[in-house]
Amino acid sequence: METWEVFRRHGHREPFEHCGTVTASGPDMALLTAKECFLRRREGEHLWVVRRSDIHSFQDESMLEVGNDKDYRFNSGYRDVVQKRERAKERAKELASK
Amino acid sequence: MSDSLVSLVTALGDDELVLGHRHSEWTGFAPHIEEDVAFSSIAQDEIGHAAALYSLVAKVTGDSADRIALGRDKSDYRNAILCERDNGDWAFTLARHWLYDHADELRLEALEGSAHEELAALATKIRREERYHLLHADTWLKRIAQGPVEGRKRLADGVMKAFGPSLALFEPFELEDEAVKEGWLPLPSGELRDRFVRFASEQLDALGLPTDIARHAEEGAEFVASSSGDLIAGDGAEMAQGGDEDGTGGRRGRRTADFDALWEDMTAMYRTNPGATW
Amino acid sequence: MTYEEKLARFNAHIEAGGKVEAEDWMPDDYRNGVLKFIEMHANSEIMGAIPEREQVPRAPSLKRKMSLTAKVQDEVGHAQLLYRVAEDLGKSRDAMFSDLVNGKSKFHNVFHYPTKHWGDVAIIGWLIDGAALVTQAALLDSSYAPYTRVLKRICSEEQLHLRHGEDITLELSSGTESQRAMFQDALTRWWLPIIHFFGPRTNVEKDLLLRWKVKTRTNEDLRQEFLDRYVPKVLELGYRIPAPVPFHDEASGHWLIRDEDIDWAPLEAIKRNEGPETARRLGLRKTIYDTHRWVREALAEPAIHAA
Repeated sequence: METWEVFRRHGHREPFEHCGTVTASGPDMALLTAKECFLRRREGEHLWVVRRSDIHSFQDESMLEVGNDKDYRFNSGYRDVVQKRERAKERAKELASK
Repeated sequence: MSDSLVSLVTALGDDELVLGHRHSEWTGFAPHIEEDVAFSSIAQDEIGHAAALYSLVAKVTGDSADRIALGRDKSDYRNAILCERDNGDWAFTLARHWLYDHADELRLEALEGSAHEELAALATKIRREERYHLLHADTWLKRIAQGPVEGRKRLADGVMKAFGPSLALFEPFELEDEAVKEGWLPLPSGELRDRFVRFASEQLDALGLPTDIARHAEEGAEFVASSSGDLIAGDGAEMAQGGDEDGTGGRRGRRTADFDALWEDMTAMYRTNPGATW
Repeated sequence: MTYEEKLARFNAHIEAGGKVEAEDWMPDDYRNGVLKFIEMHANSEIMGAIPEREQVPRAPSLKRKMSLTAKVQDEVGHAQLLYRVAEDLGKSRDAMFSDLVNGKSKFHNVFHYPTKHWGDVAIIGWLIDGAALVTQAALLDSSYAPYTRVLKRICSEEQLHLRHGEDITLELSSGTESQRAMFQDALTRWWLPIIHFFGPRTNVEKDLLLRWKVKTRTNEDLRQEFLDRYVPKVLELGYRIPAPVPFHDEASGHWLIRDEDIDWAPLEAIKRNEGPETARRLGLRKTIYDTHRWVREALAEPAIHAA
């Protein structure tokens, strides 16, 4: 018997999501039981089961931190667009009136 | 013309209801928690199929599905005896599950060609759900048959006990000749039985599970020739014919002691509170 | 870091509302406490299936036959979810089953009582699941994160059970005299066990689980929430609530129960594994577990052929 991680996908908008685990002896039994344990209320049309031992992660998850100095990766890095648009329009007016 | 339809569909519903009832008795007690959840869905499906079949009958007769399921006398049920047998151990349950669902598959496949449109459509719908049941049964049977010796032995015992009675799923329905003539049942039970025997014995032999097929084939030939398809109104002595273990006579209204307890439990609330809604 | 330093940091983390995952460092008290709590919850689900499944064969309509089977299926499903969380804390399913059937670990008091008829199904589905929902909703804030994640699903399914139980109750209540009598009979038998379900007054100083924020509210607080929500609903259907009889306190607006009206003796008996059905049900679980040994052994072999 092993632990199997269960993933399901519902519709087309979202990717597979992890929804729980089953104890089973082989992928055949894992699929049969995961279907009724996790998809009996139409929570998905697609089902994956993966041996827990095939799941990998970093030993030290603090490696996953992202520093605060990377605002260029976020919408918050571009909040001055309103002022910049006003400045550009004014500049255009300035040059047009020359 | 509708009598033979009612007879056919009621018997089909009885098989599903009684077997579904038996399957539901495993909820909370199955061998493995994850499997408990899975098998419970199978039980609910079977009861749902019974409800749909009885609803079809109810439309024809002006009755209600609940009244057909829970309001009839013991002697009015027409399920095969295989379905009413106590669950026994998990091995017997698996053997019965495998045999019943494969027999049902052959039957449903034929019924998809029924001249009764609603029955044909229902057969298609039920078959879709049954795919999971078949995969479940096949997976378990193979696992146990190819596993340690104790499981294999128990499964072999289960198959021996269930195989004969599973053939009685194909005893002719009451008024079957008419049902076949009208096209409600596109293939007579005898022919379905032959197909089932070939399929089941091949699959089971491949897994090393004995079915004592030769003996059953002989007996089978006898009862097909002698059954009339129409009900012989049963008296106890005649019902007792066929022996305790062979599981025959269900389609003619023969019931066993296992059914007595089942019927009591299943129908008591309904019968003692006529007209009540729940 | 020394143990004391780790412990201090852990305490601060919990104080600040931090969550704990399975792989995190935890003091032994915390690990043992949370494991025992979750194990008891899992045990309660699998033992709770027993009284309800007794009524499944007796369901009075096709729809209820399916819906009650589905409800018990959900409870077994909850046991599955919870045993998995407990297993990930380091205790094997075998060890947990063994402790359960040998009476070493506990399960909720309400599942030590018999069911007699369909009225019991209504009470269990409405008031007992209602009580469970009050306590489980409070646990959604628990410090142990894997527990809260399965509780999210458990609570949403219990909500459905509540609707199911209320549906059954309302059908009985608008039905024949005999149906109403069925509900009243069950209510008369179950009321005291339901009050016991919340437990005696919490000893806030000594309650480790409260300190670790595995639990977040006191027993009496949860019981009060239950009473305020359900007593009016039961009374408006015209039923009589037996001892301990709740009374309405005009000043606070609460439905109160006098501590001196609660007979704790039956709960004490259950704690000694001497409830009305304790021995029989544990015996049944043990027999079933032993009977299925050959299946577990067959499944332990890896599959020869793939799916």
